[in-house]
Amino acid sequence: MKKSYLNNPGTLKIDLMLRGIRLPREDGPLAFYGRAGEGVDIVLPGGSPVNVPCGEEFTRDSPYVLKKAGERWLISDTTGEVEVRPVKMPEFLSRTTGEGTPYSEIATVHGSYVLILPKKECVFFEKKVECSYCAGGYDERPGRTHTVDEVVEVVSAVLEEGVSEIIYLSTGFTEDDDGGIGFLTPYIEAIKKRFNCLVAVEALPPKNNHWIDRTYALGADALLYNLEIFDEELFEALCPGRARFVGRKRYIEALRYAADIFPNGTVASHLIVGLEPPGSTCMGIDFLTDMGVVPILPIYRPRPGGALRIEPLNAEVIIPIYRHLYRAVKKKGINMNWMRDISVVTTPIEGRLIAGEKTGGISGLIEKFYGTRLGLKTAWGLSTLRRKLRVKEIEED
Amino acid sequence: MAVEIDRRSIWVLLVLKGLRPAFFVLLAAGFYYLIKMPTPEGLTPEGKNAIAVFILCLILWVSNIIPLAITSLFAIALVPLVDILPKEEVYGLFGNEAVFFILGAFILAGAVMHSGLSNRIALVIMDRFGSSPARLLLSIYLLAALLSCFMSEHAVAAMLFPIVFEIAKSLGLRPGRSTYAKMLFLSLAWGCVIGGIATFLGGARVPLALGILKETTGRTIDFISYSVGVFPVVVIMLLFGYFLLTRLFSMDIDSVEKAHEVLKRRIQSMGKIGYNEYMVGIILVVTVVAWATLGARVGLATVSLAAVVALFVLRLVRWKDIEEYVNWGIILMYGGAIIMGTALERSGAAMWIAQSTIGGWMVEPWLAVAVLSLLALLFTEGISNAAVIAILLPVGIGLTGGVNIDPVLVTYAIAVPAGLAFTLPLSTPANAIAVSSTYLTIRDMAKAGVIMSITSWVVFNLVARFYWPLIGLGGLR
Ligand code: SF4
Repeated sequence: MKKSYLNNPGTLKIDLMLRGIRLPREDGPLAFYGRAGEGVDIVLPGGSPVNVPCGEEFTRDSPYVLKKAGERWLISDTTGEVEVRPVKMPEFLSRTTGEGTPYSEIATVHGSYVLILPKKECVFFEKKVECSYCAGGYDERPGRTHTVDEVVEVVSAVLEEGVSEIIYLSTGFTEDDDGGIGFLTPYIEAIKKRFNCLVAVEALPPKNNHWIDRTYALGADALLYNLEIFDEELFEALCPGRARFVGRKRYIEALRYAADIFPNGTVASHLIVGLEPPGSTCMGIDFLTDMGVVPILPIYRPRPGGALRIEPLNAEVIIPIYRHLYRAVKKKGINMNWMRDISVVTTPIEGRLIAGEKTGGISGLIEKFYGTRLGLKTAWGLSTLRRKLRVKEIEED
Repeated sequence: MAVEIDRRSIWVLLVLKGLRPAFFVLLAAGFYYLIKMPTPEGLTPEGKNAIAVFILCLILWVSNIIPLAITSLFAIALVPLVDILPKEEVYGLFGNEAVFFILGAFILAGAVMHSGLSNRIALVIMDRFGSSPARLLLSIYLLAALLSCFMSEHAVAAMLFPIVFEIAKSLGLRPGRSTYAKMLFLSLAWGCVIGGIATFLGGARVPLALGILKETTGRTIDFISYSVGVFPVVVIMLLFGYFLLTRLFSMDIDSVEKAHEVLKRRIQSMGKIGYNEYMVGIILVVTVVAWATLGARVGLATVSLAAVVALFVLRLVRWKDIEEYVNWGIILMYGGAIIMGTALERSGAAMWIAQSTIGGWMVEPWLAVAVLSLLALLFTEGISNAAVIAILLPVGIGLTGGVNIDPVLVTYAIAVPAGLAFTLPLSTPANAIAVSSTYLTIRDMAKAGVIMSITSWVVFNLVARFYWPLIGLGGLR
């Protein structure tokens, strides 16, 4: 009998991301939201959000179908069905800023957080050293830099609508020594000054650690330096820009340093599953967790028309990697409540579902609490207090 | 502004954060208790309140938990509030001559530095006289001492530091290893410290002592008399310092040729001496002469302020340039310390404290000088030397009521040793600057500094006992 993942939201999330879903035609266009207009966002049983591909060629062969039964929505495969909740397009995304920019050009919703790109630019394309798997659409000519006021306007709308309490700022990728933090500084400051929300920052590792101190002092609550590939040779081959302008050694140094500065569980790094052998990804997981860094594992899917043709792994191979992820993070005592509920990746906390473990008692309650709005507000308060206690301003010599 | 992340456990940080408010609550409770307690025998209610304010300021000055100047402002507010002195008198005391003298001296020193004159003098002297390792060392040492006679020793250390640092680098001296480098930086620090006690201008703490002396006893010391009184201490300590340096450390280089290249380059980059430098130099010389000759008659502050006006009339500096050289915090601190000292004296509290603590057994004047100078030397290693004067001098002057000793001598006994901090980087900025070079370790400084401190105490007391009577200064039985 064919194996079904329907009964485990953790494995179902992975399989859905890999194989996509077929949508009901008869209902006309769906008002569901998908990341940057791609796919649909669905909340699985237990609350895990997932962004599921639905428009690509490969999704036609998906065993999964989204269908409506009365007021309920179901995902079914050949073996059964499970109730889910498709995510409605947030209202704020249909608005435009005072300067006429659609909000959707600045922000995208990724489950528990909203990604904001003040400027969409990757210098690696200009230098012809882009990552060969890049699917971010950064190859187009650099977009306009959105002003601080525009970004603040969007964040205000996000928070007002209650879409998210976490704003994830990405620098785009520049070759500045600061890894892009200098560019993001006015945005972080403006957001932190006006709103009580958490801010996560994705950047390139800066040349000097004092920029990491600075990033924390500015108000970043979480930080991501995405190594993407752990294997040294593959890293150099597939990420020539990162290898040349930053270097694997510096990624590791910066992550180690950041994990010492930021709160437990708030420093993360992506390792893309499927670009290197699973054993290598597992070594990467162990290495990162040893340093106190949370590995986040997006799944590789070939870009239509892209030059890189690596066959994506299937769920059978991938699922043990996530089980390993959960166990490694748990063993090292890394807090899983920060990096969670992201629609485009499976996070360590969801790895628990895959590992078949249940949390009960106090830790289960804490986990539930941090998934709520009040929990996120509490996280913001504690994070702010911690920063207040730790950051000291010193006179520059 | 750079940032630093404190990585200690969050619990430790929370406790430490909580300590500060707890400290202030305890302080407030203690102060309230002292104000409300019955007045001890032999003390007036004003005296008791003055002691309460004094203890409060003492704790704040020593702990440095708030800036020294803010503690002083607090004292100014408290003195009339708890009825020690009327408010008109308190704020009038802030207009003390010492405060304006220091203000003028700061501005004048700022003009000298801003014009580049002090830098030029330093470079030329080092280049001209520093032909061998020993001579270069001596020229840095004496230059630091000489300049500290005319401007704040802190400013001199800060000004000479980059030059000495560059010399050490150009000679290829290894930080922490080279004994010659240790000698260079110690000579810089010691030169500043010893030179700083030679005149009223070095550390500006002597004017503070004078302010307290004048307000509490009506007595004063003039510019020349002070320098004549401390001259032997300065000379002996300079000689001993050089002797000690050359005994403790060896000169591990043979030539200073490379250092001369640096000095020449720096001199060349300064260009020719300009109008501003000439004029500021002339004003400085005239001012020092006027302090020495007219100071007693027209007042030191009057001379200082006249010099300041001349600087601006001749457009040698702009206010913006000067602002950064004037240590406004010290000026506030001095004003407050003078008010505190006066409050203790006038309320009878100073005498009461002196009698009930050290006065009973300190019956001999020489013993009083020995003990007060020792206390000042010890205190100055840990706290700001201005704070040492603010704390010790009013009590010391209070002592003169019971012991047959001239308050002028007590002023010397506290003001001079308060400047002689050799042991720790935190003792005085000149030491901190020298250690910051990384060529010199705290251990090196402490080892040599302890010998210097003990020697300076012995030298000071010998000078007080045998030399001062010769120049008609007090007289110790
Ligand atoms: S860093 Fe690599 S993956 Fe990211 S946008 Fe640039 S090329 Fe694409």
